Amino acid sequence: MNELIEQALLAPLELLAQHLLAVLPNVFAMGVLILGGLLIAWLSSMLLERFLRVIGLDHLSNRLGTTTALLRAGIKTDPTRLIGQTLYWSIALFSLIAGLSALNLAPINQFAQSMLAYVPHLLTAGVILLTGYVCSNFASQAILIAAVNAGLPPARLIANCSRWGLQLLAAAMALEQLGIAEHIVVVGFGITWGGLVLACAIAFGLGAKDLAKEFLERRMVRRSRGGETDDLHHL
Amino acid sequence: MTLNRAPLDPKTEACLQEIGSAEIVVGIPSYNNADTVGHVVHAVSAGLAKYFPNRRAVLVNSDGGSSDDTATIVARTAIDYHHLLIADRQSVLHRIVTPYHGIPGKGSAFRTIFEIARRLQATACAVVDADVRSISPEWIELLLRPVLEQGYDYTAPFYLRHKYDGTITNSLAYPLTRALYGKRIRQPIGGEFGFSGALAAHYLDQHVWESEVARFGIDIWMTTEAIANGARVCQSFLGAKIHNQKDPAADLSTMLREVVGSLFASMERHTRLWSDIEGSEPVPVFGFPFEVGVEPVRVNLERMVASFHQGLADLGSIWRYLLSAETMRTLYNLNQGEGAAVHIPDDLWVRIVYDAAAAYHHQVLPREHLLKSLTPLYLGRTASFVLTTQGLTSTEAEQTIDHLCRTFEEQKPYLLERWNQQSSQPAHQFRVQTIPDAGGDHE
Repeated sequence: MNELIEQALLAPLELLAQHLLAVLPNVFAMGVLILGGLLIAWLSSMLLERFLRVIGLDHLSNRLGTTTALLRAGIKTDPTRLIGQTLYWSIALFSLIAGLSALNLAPINQFAQSMLAYVPHLLTAGVILLTGYVCSNFASQAILIAAVNAGLPPARLIANCSRWGLQLLAAAMALEQLGIAEHIVVVGFGITWGGLVLACAIAFGLGAKDLAKEFLERRMVRRSRGGETDDLHHL
Repeated sequence: MTLNRAPLDPKTEACLQEIGSAEIVVGIPSYNNADTVGHVVHAVSAGLAKYFPNRRAVLVNSDGGSSDDTATIVARTAIDYHHLLIADRQSVLHRIVTPYHGIPGKGSAFRTIFEIARRLQATACAVVDADVRSISPEWIELLLRPVLEQGYDYTAPFYLRHKYDGTITNSLAYPLTRALYGKRIRQPIGGEFGFSGALAAHYLDQHVWESEVARFGIDIWMTTEAIANGARVCQSFLGAKIHNQKDPAADLSTMLREVVGSLFASMERHTRLWSDIEGSEPVPVFGFPFEVGVEPVRVNLERMVASFHQGLADLGSIWRYLLSAETMRTLYNLNQGEGAAVHIPDDLWVRIVYDAAAAYHHQVLPREHLLKSLTPLYLGRTASFVLTTQGLTSTEAEQTIDHLCRTFEEQKPYLLERWNQQSSQPAHQFRVQTIPDAGGDHE
């Protein structure tokens, strides 16, 4: 009976204990790595935020229009805090991956490795999206002003199309970078974009023939909107 | 001060070696001005022969790569002094026809002229536009003599112009310069100026030749820089100014951006100076004033009003970043009606300009966008001015401009207040009521 208990119950428990004892240092190491990582993340982000506030990054962002762009994107955090938080979560993510690797378990190691390999793509996609967003806003604003100054009635439509076009392009590039349905995105984007251009060309050529004629005449013959020229010297 | 040399053509270098030195340099910037440049060269040559026969003078044509015969006409225009009753021309007038380097524009052309003046150690210089059709030899005397004999450093022109000629000058450049720097220079961007060789050298040494100054911003920059540096400034009465349109390829918004950009950039450089100035004082005028008929100016009011109303409909979301909430409210309340309704009174226009200057200073928007977005507002103000002064004589219209200038002076504390704010807050509390989705993407 005792032998049975030893073989059936204690042996697995002993084995489990041995496994636990073998894994325990790794678990401890994981805890240290994660907690240490979080501490470093908190400390680094705090120091970075203080440094950025001292050099006046928020003021610079105001001047460059980045704060306004972030507000428009619904991000109400100031740029300094945003950068600090990005650093915090980046370090936290790395420490979590490092902590999981410390367990030295094959599936977790594999997962951690694939996560690490994916991070550059994630960062690149993020940069592409952010750049695309800022550029699309800048370009649409410039196009809106230029179209109004040129007296084009659908100025806002043109500006909106340009913005959404650029954002769509950025989104397609980001998805391709992330490897999500690469071919579908590229082909889909190509078809959509090509279709849009063709549709616009056909619509403009057929539906707005007179408008196109008037526009070209005005641009090439320099005829004014009211059909009557003026001699106004502005300088 | 570092010596900031402008690059010159090897041929021009050789010419300068040959000439050595000169007392007077007269510059003519040009670009496809074959129709008018011959007359300008005639007038300059006759003016120098008639009024400065004993002084060594050089005529410089700084050309922007004209595709017509401008350069050939300048080089070959012959002067018959006998018919002009000029007998005692004692000094040969040298001519230099040179291309300029740098950003294409009037400012870069001037830079080459300044460089030549410095190399020749000129005492006095004058510049005249190549498109002026009403220039006479007397202009050269009136621009140069105050510098050569009266101890002035800078002579600005004083013309008689049609009330609708020079609308940027009348609604912006003159009132703003007068209110900021306290000098009543009526044509601060006239195009024809006289100045000392020392001032030309000072201009050359400024690091502004990659900015709006290299283009149409040069005229206002020269005037403000002269005042800001304590130069003795005067004006000369030149009669009527009749000229061809400036570079037809340059559209209004580009021209406005360059002039206003140059004005605002000067405001940033000389904040301390203009902050302390109150009111304004007259600037001496030389020459014999006389009445003269000016060419009528046709105005396409409908086009200006349409442009302004399109601005109201489409650019409200951008304007609210540069105009104060109060200014926005007044602007929209006064111009809600359809059709030809446009009303921008003096005090509103002054606030718009001051708000825009402060917004430029605080960089609440990319500066290029800010300056270009002012075009419909400027056209609205011009249309409003035309509607107000339609039945008025030139003298009465001048009084209206003077009233605008006084408003600019009176409202200067408002500019200072806006300028010194930490940052211009967008008028978030103001919402454009006339359009349901006015630039929702910009909000």
